[in-house]
Amino acid sequence: MREFTVAVAGASLLGTQAMVFVNPKAAPNANIEFLRFWAGQSQNATSAQQRIEIDAQTTPFPTLTAATPAALKRAEASASIIIGSTSGAAGTAGVNSSTDGTTSYTNIWQDAFNVLNGWLLVPTPAETIVFPAGLAQGMNMRTPIAPATTTNWAAGVVYREV
Amino acid sequence: MELKDSFVGRVYGVNYFRTHKTEAYVEIPPALLITDERGDAWSLGSEFVGTGYNLEFNVVRNDVSTDEFAKKIVYRGGKVRIYGQAGWRVWNGRTFI
Repeated sequence: MREFTVAVAGASLLGTQAMVFVNPKAAPNANIEFLRFWAGQSQNATSAQQRIEIDAQTTPFPTLTAATPAALKRAEASASIIIGSTSGAAGTAGVNSSTDGTTSYTNIWQDAFNVLNGWLLVPTPAETIVFPAGLAQGMNMRTPIAPATTTNWAAGVVYREV
Repeated sequence: MELKDSFVGRVYGVNYFRTHKTEAYVEIPPALLITDERGDAWSLGSEFVGTGYNLEFNVVRNDVSTDEFAKKIVYRGGKVRIYGQAGWRVWNGRTFI
């Protein structure tokens, strides 16, 4: 099994933007199955409710901070087929976008949480979200409403190449 | 904003600063973390047992596994409780009983 994380910590969000973005490679290639999503504020004393979404996004993709996926199995010999990039293009991953790209998203999961407790989504096996190779859409975990406190956000996803 | 006299716990490699313990009756999931009265941060790790809909994940305290597995972690009555196939267990400060 090849599982990887893409995560960010201590991020300052600009508003309604991608916290984590992963775009599968062009076909034929491994599909990307998302196993876990999380988000929270590492420094905040103010309780507030916050929306969060998991969307499928077509081009134009967001402009991101490149994030190289880290293998969960530390003895994994080969890196992920997904590489870190600022472009959001197929086969890349990034975090904390500076621009949103398109304003049209396909909502896959919509949720809300209190920022003091954070948010954790671990789908059951039947609920895991799969982005197949060649889909030409990226997985965008984003805040559709700007947080009341935009600093010190931590977020991430775990995915498996299948 | 500067947090003084704050609790500091650790989840997924990130230090989480809080000024208060978690409010009453919070469950993981959907919450990410619970801060107890000591300031320790609790969450579910990435190790799991079981299959299908009976998956249980390792319970971590400040990113250190407690060697217990559960479907959920609940903070209620000022106690950290976990629930899984072994039923309900409560943290007594050293272990789950």
